[in-house]
Amino acid sequence: MKTLELDRGAPPATVAVTGGAGGPGTSPDAPGAPRRRRGRPAWAVTVVVLALAATLVPLAYLLSVSLMGRDETVSGILFTTSPRFSNWADVVVGTDLPRSIANSVVAALGGAALSLAFGLPGAWAIVRYRSGGRGLAGLVTSPWLLPPIVAVVPLFTLLRILGLNDTLLGLTLVYALLNVPIAVWLLEGFVRKLPPDVFEAAALDGAGPWRTLGLVVVPLMVPALVAVGTITAILNYNEFLLATFITQSPESQTAPVALSLFYGDRTPHFGKIAAASVMVIVPVFAVATFLQRWMVDGLTSGVGK
Amino acid sequence: MASSLAERRAGRLFVSPTVLTLLVLGAFPLLFILAAAFTDSSLGKPFKEFTGADNLATVLGNADVVASLSRTVGYAVGTTAASVVLGVVVATAVHQAVRSGAVVRTLLLLPLIVPPVVVGTLFKLIFNPAGGLLATVLGFVGIPAPAPLSDPGLALGAVMVADIWEWTPLVFILVFAALLGQDPSITEAARMDGAHGWKLFAAVTLPAIAGTIAAAAFIRLVLALKVFDLVYIMTAGGPGQSTTTTSYLIHQVALKEFDIGRASAITLLLAVVVTLVTLPAAGLAARLRRKEEATA
Repeated sequence: MKTLELDRGAPPATVAVTGGAGGPGTSPDAPGAPRRRRGRPAWAVTVVVLALAATLVPLAYLLSVSLMGRDETVSGILFTTSPRFSNWADVVVGTDLPRSIANSVVAALGGAALSLAFGLPGAWAIVRYRSGGRGLAGLVTSPWLLPPIVAVVPLFTLLRILGLNDTLLGLTLVYALLNVPIAVWLLEGFVRKLPPDVFEAAALDGAGPWRTLGLVVVPLMVPALVAVGTITAILNYNEFLLATFITQSPESQTAPVALSLFYGDRTPHFGKIAAASVMVIVPVFAVATFLQRWMVDGLTSGVGK
Repeated sequence: MASSLAERRAGRLFVSPTVLTLLVLGAFPLLFILAAAFTDSSLGKPFKEFTGADNLATVLGNADVVASLSRTVGYAVGTTAASVVLGVVVATAVHQAVRSGAVVRTLLLLPLIVPPVVVGTLFKLIFNPAGGLLATVLGFVGIPAPAPLSDPGLALGAVMVADIWEWTPLVFILVFAALLGQDPSITEAARMDGAHGWKLFAAVTLPAIAGTIAAAAFIRLVLALKVFDLVYIMTAGGPGQSTTTTSYLIHQVALKEFDIGRASAITLLLAVVVTLVTLPAAGLAARLRRKEEATA
């Protein structure tokens, strides 16, 4: 896979493989091309419909249950005729959920920003100056390969020594480090696609490594930073294992942890659990709707390099 | 590329946060786990007393630990196989059936951004034998309600379904991007030569995207080996031990029994098993990628 300018909104000349979302017409789909005339195979349409159903029915069901009363959730109905929006209010008003969502947003964005700040110079130096040699380039992703449970107790101990245990700052720092390998890995793909003559021109103008990084690389990498930042922020927002170890008190709890505690009751109210789940999803869905093009770009860049 | 002295010095500084990360997230936890595995350690007081290979001997002789490791590997291989097959089929179908695929793609990617805790909650609701989606729909056709999450024979499969729902879109989008990135003239040429349908796919398309499929499968395998959240929310490792993956077992030993020495010994075993499973997969992915580049 060589060309990966998927939907970046780049000038038409470079949009060779645009998959949609407002991109100009792609060459295989040009009018009169043989591909168009062949029509849509029935098997493919069937698979697409089934895939959409498998994806969307569970999400619709979650929304439906979130509007049910306690008895309705166990009565074998698919949707209620008298929706209870009070479920939504009940899980938001007077609970720890809104604060936990705010905590998640702070840790997610703070962690992602730090990961980018740590990762971009690294990705650039690894590609451009071969800093660290093949060893570093090969080792970068290694912490990501092991299950995070491996790092939980050591990080827990480290944070306790630093006095950052059970704080949002501690969790944010852990998230920042946790995603540096992913950020470097994905950003490398983008750095490789930067036109090399820009750097030669900058060097001829007498720009040193610092000025080149700040004034040439960073501006050119803005779409990549948005892409990788979105991915790491969502990974942070969704993270559960480390959050449940590191943040115990309601002041520092994140949304996934708060949600896991909804099962504490002896007879859980499924309607309210579903309502809380819907509340937790809303911020990610909102972000993803706006930034999906960049997210897809970021995901495909790392594997495609 | 010849780098000047100034560039080499700046480069070292630029990679220092990356190196620091590798030390804090890679080297430090491994050394900590190694030290804790050979000592008597609790969460409050690690490294109390050197106990040699006692912890390792204990966990290796424990049938639950060994069973959890093989369960984790089986789970990972099963979910990876299912995700890769489904992801490739759906990507090919979307590529064939939809012109630009923007809306379809947006919808198909939704599970990726749902927090795993919510995915677990969602499938717990679906599998609830009293009024859940599965029981209700099966009830329409007169099949008695199953209880997948409380049946030891079905529980692990039920967790796998949730995992497959969540991560198959990642395989889909990577393969879909590879399909869009194909050189259309090669496909056209093959079609002129009379290749079409399955034959065209197997002879031309599949070799062209094999490297991407292998890379996606590798990523999927690593993600599946990490499973924790879904087990925690859906089954808490039960019924019995039937869904106790190794990550969940370590969590139990570390946080319920506070035995960090034994938890570390299990962690060490998990790290070894994960390495043994992922290294051949990584090698295979790299080989296919090189082949793909050679033919491209």
